[in-house]
Amino acid sequence: MTRSTTTAAALGAHARVRTRKLNTRTNLAILRQEDLQDLDDEAQRNVPRIDTGIEKAEESEHHLQAALSASNAAAIGGKVAQIYIPTPDAVPSSIDYEKLYPLMYKQPQSYIRFSSTVEDVAGCPYNMDEEDDAFLKSMNKKKNASTQCSEVVFEEVMNCFEETAQSQQPWAAVDSPPVISYDIIEETMDDYLDYSQKRFTKEIYEHWKTRRLESGNKSLIQNLKFETGADTDDADPYVCFRRREVRQIRKTRGRDAHSAEKLKKLRKELEESRELLAMIKQRELHKREQLEVEKQLFEQRTNLRQIKQNLPDQYKQGDEDILINQKPKKKPLEITQRMPNIQIPRRTDGRSAETDLLLLSEWHAEREREISEAIEEKIRQHEKWNEGFVDLTKAPLTPPSETAIGSTFRTATTEYFLPTPPASVSSEHSGDGGMDFGAVNLNKAESIAVRYASPSYDGPCHSQPSFRRRYGRGGRLLIDRRGMRMSQKENMDTAIADRYKYDDEDDEDDVPRYYVDPFDTESMVFRSRILPGQPTQAQMQAMRAQRDAAIAAAQAASHGNPSMRSARQPGSEG
Amino acid sequence: MAPRDGSQERTGTPDTVEKGMATINTLRIGVKAFVEKDGEKRKAEILSIQTKKGQPNYYVHYEEFNKRLDEWVPASRLDLSQEVEWPQPEAPTKKAQKSTAPAPKSAPLPKQTAGQKRPRPSTTAGTSRKGSETPELSTTTGNAAKPARPPLVGGKENRPGSDGSISVVAPELSTDTPKGEESEMDIVDIQDAAAAAKASNPQHQAPFSREEEIEKLRTGGSMTQNQTEISRVRNLGHIQMGAFEMEPWYFSPYPSTFTEADTVYICEFCLSYFDSNQTFTRHRAKCTLLHPPGNEIYRDNSVSFFEIDGRRQRRWCRNLCLLSKLFLDHKTLYYDVDPFLFYCMTTRDEHGCHLVGYFSKEKESAEGYNVACILTLPQYQRKGYGKLLIAFSYELSKREGKLGSPEKPLSDLGLLGYRAYWAETVTDVLLDHEKNSKDGKGSGEISVEEIGALSAMTTNDVLHTLQNLNMLRYSKGQHVIVLTEAVLETKEKAKAKEKAKGLTRRKIEPERLMWKPPVFTASSRTWNW
Repeated sequence: MTRSTTTAAALGAHARVRTRKLNTRTNLAILRQEDLQDLDDEAQRNVPRIDTGIEKAEESEHHLQAALSASNAAAIGGKVAQIYIPTPDAVPSSIDYEKLYPLMYKQPQSYIRFSSTVEDVAGCPYNMDEEDDAFLKSMNKKKNASTQCSEVVFEEVMNCFEETAQSQQPWAAVDSPPVISYDIIEETMDDYLDYSQKRFTKEIYEHWKTRRLESGNKSLIQNLKFETGADTDDADPYVCFRRREVRQIRKTRGRDAHSAEKLKKLRKELEESRELLAMIKQRELHKREQLEVEKQLFEQRTNLRQIKQNLPDQYKQGDEDILINQKPKKKPLEITQRMPNIQIPRRTDGRSAETDLLLLSEWHAEREREISEAIEEKIRQHEKWNEGFVDLTKAPLTPPSETAIGSTFRTATTEYFLPTPPASVSSEHSGDGGMDFGAVNLNKAESIAVRYASPSYDGPCHSQPSFRRRYGRGGRLLIDRRGMRMSQKENMDTAIADRYKYDDEDDEDDVPRYYVDPFDTESMVFRSRILPGQPTQAQMQAMRAQRDAAIAAAQAASHGNPSMRSARQPGSEG
Repeated sequence: MAPRDGSQERTGTPDTVEKGMATINTLRIGVKAFVEKDGEKRKAEILSIQTKKGQPNYYVHYEEFNKRLDEWVPASRLDLSQEVEWPQPEAPTKKAQKSTAPAPKSAPLPKQTAGQKRPRPSTTAGTSRKGSETPELSTTTGNAAKPARPPLVGGKENRPGSDGSISVVAPELSTDTPKGEESEMDIVDIQDAAAAAKASNPQHQAPFSREEEIEKLRTGGSMTQNQTEISRVRNLGHIQMGAFEMEPWYFSPYPSTFTEADTVYICEFCLSYFDSNQTFTRHRAKCTLLHPPGNEIYRDNSVSFFEIDGRRQRRWCRNLCLLSKLFLDHKTLYYDVDPFLFYCMTTRDEHGCHLVGYFSKEKESAEGYNVACILTLPQYQRKGYGKLLIAFSYELSKREGKLGSPEKPLSDLGLLGYRAYWAETVTDVLLDHEKNSKDGKGSGEISVEEIGALSAMTTNDVLHTLQNLNMLRYSKGQHVIVLTEAVLETKEKAKAKEKAKGLTRRKIEPERLMWKPPVFTASSRTWNW
C-alpha cells in the first residue's frame, strides 16, 4: 500500500497540471474512449514510468526496447506489428526418440501422487561410456557365450567400485590418495553385488583402476562441484547448491525435553522393529530346520521302503503308518451333531463357520451383559452429575437407608430423573430461589472452615452444607439443603446423637465441631450449580474452581494455622 | 544500428575512452571492436579468446544486445579497419581496498538468501566487480597477477599514457612495483579460464597463439578464478533434450568437464545430464521416470501441473535448476533448492509427461513473491505456455488468498510475458465489471485495489499495467480508467486469432486445481541439510 501511494504521489507531482493524487482505494469510473470529451492527456504524458523490474543495465537492450516501444505505441493507438525478442531456436533432434523413450506411459484416472526420487527410479547410477564399452567387448571376446558379462552387470560392478572408493576415500579430491586396493573393495562387495556378479570383479577392477589412474583418482561419474570448505569456493562459478546457513533455533528446556522424548520414542520403535526382525529371522531359521528334518524324514522313508521291498519276509502289519504323515485326528464337531443336514461352507479365512453361529445361551449372556453395561453406564453418568453432592445412600441407586433419611431429609420419595439433565433450567425458574440458604450462610459468616486433603472416611458426615436440586411432582424445582449448622458428633450412638441434635450450644471442648465457610469456593460452587439459569458451561469452570480451591485450602492447611480446625469433606476428591 | 555514443553516459563514465587501431595480435579480452552481425557492424566486447585449428576465435558480447546473443566469431568477422576501444584499467584506490580485503564474500550472500535470483548489480556492486578484486602486485607477493579486465559495469576508459598494447597491459597501475619482464609475465586474463576449459582440448593446443602463451604463463601462478567472469561465457555447446536440440543461452554450472563435449544429453524425465551418447543411451535403458516426481495438482485436456518439494526431490530439482540456468541469466544456483517448491507444467502423450516449463516458489516469501524463477523451455516457447504458467502462479495465489508478484529482476522475456498476461487479465476484469454494471449489478466503478484483489495482482502491478496501456487518465478533475480502443482491439484480435486456429484459449480452470497451500513446520524450513 505504501509503495502504491508513493507511486501515485509521483504521478501527481511530476504532472505539468497538478492533478490530484490517485488513491488506490477510491473507485474509478470505467469509461470507453468515446465517452471521454475533455481528455487531459497532458496530465498523463509527463508521468514517470513505473519501474519495470528488470535490471537497469539490461533495460536499454536493443530488442527489449524495440518490443517495449512497439507495445507502447500500440497502447496509444498506433499500428505496430508485434515485435519478438530473438532467441536461439530449438530444432528437432536427430536422435532416435521412439527408441530412447518408449511408449510406456498410461495415464491413471486420478491425479498422480508420487514420491520416489530420481535415485530410486534411475537404476544403477553408473552408466558405461565408450571406453567401458570397448573394454567390455574385448573382455567378452575371450569368454564363451554363457560366461559373458552383460552391460548391466558391468555397470553394477563399476558402481560398486565407485561407491566403495567414495565411502573409503571421501576426500580423494582434496588429498589425492592412491587408488583403493582390490582387497579393501572386496570387504564391502557383499553389500553391492551378488554371487553371479562377483565373477567379473577382478577383471573389471583392473580396467577401473587404469581409468581412475588416468583421471587422477577422481570419480568416474561426473559430479557437480559442491562446496569443499576451501576459500576458492566462493569465486568458483561451478560450485553450486551450497547449503544455507541454518537459523539457530532457540534452545529451551522444554524443547530439549521434547526432542529427548522424541529420540527415546524413535529409539524404542527402532528397537522394537529390530526385535521383530530378529524374531522373523528366528522363525525362518526354524522353518528351514523343519524343512531339513522333513527332507531327512522323506529320505529315511524311501530307504525304509526300499528295505521293505528287498526283504518282504520282514514285513510287519502297521508299518505303513510310519511311511506317511499321520494326520491329527479330527475333533468331532459339535455343529455337525446339532445340525447334521446343513452343509457348512468353509470360510475363506479358514475359520470354521461354527464361530459365526450364536447359541441361545450366548445370546442371552450377551444381552445380559449389554443390559448391565447400560445400567452401569447410567450409574456412572448419574454419579458424575451428582458429583460433589453428599450422598447419604452408599450406592446411588439403592433405596436410602432408614437412618440416613431420618437424619437429614424429610421422608419424601423423590423421583430422580434418570439421567438427570445437567443444570439447564428454563427461564421461569430464574430469579427465585437461592435467597433462603443465602441468608443462612450469612448467619454463619463468622465461622471458618478449613479443608485439606485428608482422606475421606466412609461414614456420613454432616459438617458440609449441601444442596440438592430435584424435581418434584409437576415439574416443580425443589432445592434441598442440609447440614447448615450441624456439627458432627462422632462415635455416638443414635440416641445420644438425637439428644444433642438441636443443641447448638454444646460445649466445644468435648466434641469437635466442623464449621464451613459459606464463602468457601466449594460451597459456593455447590450453590451456584443448583441455581436456576446457570449456563451449563459454567459447570466446567466451577469444577475447575473447585479443584483450585481444594488446592488452595490444602496449602492453607499445610501452613498450619492452629486456630483452624480441620474440616472434612466427604465426597470430594481433593 | 550503429552503437550509440551515449553508452558511456549511461554507464556513468565521464572519462574519455582510449581508442586506437588494433591488429589480430593486439586484441585482448575487454577490447571493444566492431563485429559483423547479421550484415551490420556492431560494437562488441571480447569476453574470451581461444584458438581452434590455429585460428583465433573470439567470444563477443554485442553492446545493447542480450547476453543470449553472445557468440563465438572468427577473426574474419572482426572489423579491424575501425578503431577499437581499449579496456579501462582499474582505479588504483579501489584495488588497494580490494586487495586488502581479498574476498568480500559475505556481502552478496544475505541478499541472495531470499531468492533464486542473482542480485541486481546495484545492491551488490562488489560481486559484479569481482574482476578487479584480484590481489595486486603491490600488496601481495609473488604469485599475484593483474587482471587486464576492467570492471564489468563501469565504463571502459584508459588513463592517458596507456597505449593499449598487449605487452603492457597495466604497468601504470602498479607504478610502485617493479615493471618490465615480471609484470609482463603476470599478465593474466582471468576471464578466459572458462574459455581455457573449453579450449583445453589437447589437439588444439599445438599452435601457440599469443593468448595461449599468456594463458600458459598464467597457469603457473594462478589465482582465484572469478565467478562473474567465467560465467559470462557460455560453457556448453549443444543441448539434446527429448526430441529437440537447442543451444544454451547462458552459463550453467554443469560439471566442468562437460565444456569439452559437443552435445550434452539431458534425460527428458529425470533431467539427468550426460556428456556422451553412450552414457545417455545406457541411462535411458534404465530410467523409469515418466513424469516429474511429485504430486499432480492440476490436470486438464492439454497440460498437467506437478508440485515438487525441493527438499524431498533434491536431485531432480537440482537437475531442473541446472537446466533452467541455461536459459535464465538471473538465476543463481549459489544455494540449494530446499526452500523452494517447483511447479512443473507438462504435456502428456504415451511417452510420458513432457516438461514444458516450470516456476519455482519460495515456501515462505518474506516479500510476498509468488514466483521466484519462471521458464518455458525453448522448444515450447511462443506457444502460449508462458501465459499459462503465469496464470497458474496467480491461481495458486488466489487459493492462498494472497496477492502475488514475481521476484525481481525480471528478464526481458519475463517482463514481456508478464506484461502481456497483466494486460489481458486487467482488461478482462474491467470488461467483466463493466458488463456487470450494465446488467444492473455493481456500480460501474472500480478501485485499483479491487482489480488487484480480483486478479491476485499487487496494486503496484495493476498500476503499472494500467499505465502501460494508457488506461489511467485524468478527466474532469478526477482519475478514470479508460478502456481504450487499442486495448479492445487487441482483445478482439486475440479472439479472432483463436477462432482462426480453431482453438479455445488455454486457460487455467480453478475447479481442476486440487491443491491446498502446503504448510511447513519451522524445522522443515530452517533445517536445511
